[in-house]
Amino acid sequence: MTDPSHAGGAAHLLVILVSAALTDNILLTRFLGMCSFLAISRQMKASVGLGLAVTFVTTITCAINAALYVWVLRPYGLESLQLILFIVVIAAFVQFMEMLIERLSLGLYYALGIFLPLITVNCAVLGAALFMTNRNYGVTEGLVFGFGSGFGWMLAIVLMAGIRERLKTARIPPALEGPGITLIIAGIIALGFVGFSGMVQP
Amino acid sequence: MDGVSFVLTSTVVVAATCLASAVVLLIAERYLANYGPCTIDINQGSKKLEVRGGKPLLATLMQQQIFIPSACGGRGTCAYCKVKITDGAPPIAPTELTLLTDEEQQKNVRISCQVKVRNDLAIEIPEALFRVKQFTGVVERMRDLTHDIRELRIRLVEPAAIEFTPGQYVQLEAPAYGDNPEPVYRAYSIASPPSDTGHVELIIRLVPNGICTTWVFTMLKEGDEVRFNGPYGEFRLAEGDAEMVWIAGGSGMAPFWGMTRHMREHNVQRPCTYFFGAVAQRDLFFTDEFHDLEKAMPGFRFVPALSGAENDGWTGEKGLITQVVERHLKDGSGKEGYLCGSSGMIDASVKILKAKGIPEDRIFYDKFT
Amino acid sequence: MEHDPHLQRVLDRMRSGVLSRDGFLGTDPRPLEEVLDADRSAVAALGTTHEEVAARLGEVLDKARAGLGTPIRIGDRLVATHREAMGRIPCPFGGCGTFPKGEVELTDPATGESLFLTALGIHMVGKHGFYQGRGSRYRLEPTALGRLMQLGGG
Repeated sequence: MTDPSHAGGAAHLLVILVSAALTDNILLTRFLGMCSFLAISRQMKASVGLGLAVTFVTTITCAINAALYVWVLRPYGLESLQLILFIVVIAAFVQFMEMLIERLSLGLYYALGIFLPLITVNCAVLGAALFMTNRNYGVTEGLVFGFGSGFGWMLAIVLMAGIRERLKTARIPPALEGPGITLIIAGIIALGFVGFSGMVQP
Repeated sequence: MDGVSFVLTSTVVVAATCLASAVVLLIAERYLANYGPCTIDINQGSKKLEVRGGKPLLATLMQQQIFIPSACGGRGTCAYCKVKITDGAPPIAPTELTLLTDEEQQKNVRISCQVKVRNDLAIEIPEALFRVKQFTGVVERMRDLTHDIRELRIRLVEPAAIEFTPGQYVQLEAPAYGDNPEPVYRAYSIASPPSDTGHVELIIRLVPNGICTTWVFTMLKEGDEVRFNGPYGEFRLAEGDAEMVWIAGGSGMAPFWGMTRHMREHNVQRPCTYFFGAVAQRDLFFTDEFHDLEKAMPGFRFVPALSGAENDGWTGEKGLITQVVERHLKDGSGKEGYLCGSSGMIDASVKILKAKGIPEDRIFYDKFT
Repeated sequence: MEHDPHLQRVLDRMRSGVLSRDGFLGTDPRPLEEVLDADRSAVAALGTTHEEVAARLGEVLDKARAGLGTPIRIGDRLVATHREAMGRIPCPFGGCGTFPKGEVELTDPATGESLFLTALGIHMVGKHGFYQGRGSRYRLEPTALGRLMQLGGG
């Protein structure tokens, strides 16, 4: 099945990737996936781990959801079911990934703790899938978009973790400690990311 | 498409997706969560177990009839189930970190209900635990000894007989009930003599807000089935003939009630004075039984003492039990002390016994308080 | 559901039937943070600190325990009686070890007002600023404490 909006092959995919990761960053531009971002960005190791997990989930589930949309929902006119089905796919996949991580790296499993199953309700993951169908992406485009979004989310959380590590020695007014200062910094980084917006012509 | 076929197709599609997800997860669980057979080597090869991986170590050992003590039933709150893992231990879980001291962590001591068996392990546990079994029994008799102390006489069903030394305790299971979502286990000293192999007697005091005692006092009835593990504990009469000083009040009488009857059966002639401290007359029990034992065993003396203010008509000893010991015990050298009670009472008793000349290593008490 | 896994574990341990029959939150509908905040303000209003309260209560506990069950005079108004219970109970906040069970009833005979102290309860006041939820037998209501023990500036 060919993708409807197919223009310039690899370059097109690259544009999708870069815009998803940078200019249209799902966390800093669209402000999706904030809760685990705020909580886990305290530690660099856990942030990298969670970032990789979210990237993995977003990539694969976007691919599966795109396939589901293009090959099942659209042909039968069932687009309205996308919300339910995407959530089912995401939930099942996160469960699967939990088992995988527990088997492969118990240390990472403990470090992520409750935030692993929380990826299921991370709005960034569902958001990526919905943006994808909104823009009528095909399966390959969906895969690339998913990867870009997840990677962009990981970029944001790793950036924040790095900054918060430095913040440990900074003097912060007590009322702003924790979520307060984190949100302020997130806003400043988001402003910085606006600088990317010239890269991609919509 | 029209309404009906839309409903039908969408139902099929949603159902198919859910089914496909479920199948994928079941297959994944089969392969990923299945850790296959593992070997647990206990005490440097003295015992080797072949088990199925994937469950917590505590539960796995229990299935193999090895009962590590646990009060919370594996929920990771009581820290009783410590086991030393010398080889094959997985990374330490966050739930374990809060329960283990740095020293314990360095010695590879782990909370066995939080350690999942994923590969071959080598562990070390006290030898005595091999003799611990899981018992089911029936409450043969339940009687109130005082306003807040109850005696349970349990007839053993499976296994039908128990072997223990006087002074040991069992972990009684309080099942899930009311607001109590899961079973908990509480330790009670065995109050019956070992000769009564088919029974276990327990002396239980009602504790406000206590999970187990609330169950015993409000829900348990004669004829009910109960479960417990045991015997546990190192509290016992030391070898030799040294004169003994016993101090215990309330439910602390339990191990001594078993010990005295055991001593009587075996005609043990060791001189012994048992100081039983209580607040008022209504807290006394088994006084007649102990006076009978005094007559039957020449070296044995029972000294009950009341510390409360209003005790008219009481001709026995008065004052705090430690004061009574102070008055009666002239010289502790060559004697041994045996205590059973709360940590406050034990601290105070240890102090007075040491002051009277009994060395610390000749004063015995169960350390689970 | 609680996003902070550590706090969720604490809440799980505070529920009834886990560490004690009624748990530590009583019948209080407020979330834990609100309970902690409200009591923090109440203690500050009394003009004292968590540590000071815990220290004073610890003294009462020690005096009562020495009584081995007999009522002990505290100050010139109060009476404290220790009721023993065997065994130890861990702190639901985790990492603090275990504490001896047993309670002390602190009464003002003139008013009949009573508070129930436990070693764990006093530890949670001093170390965690937690006075337990309303409805818990061992709740140490700061205003009641202030009245009974004449804490703080007054």
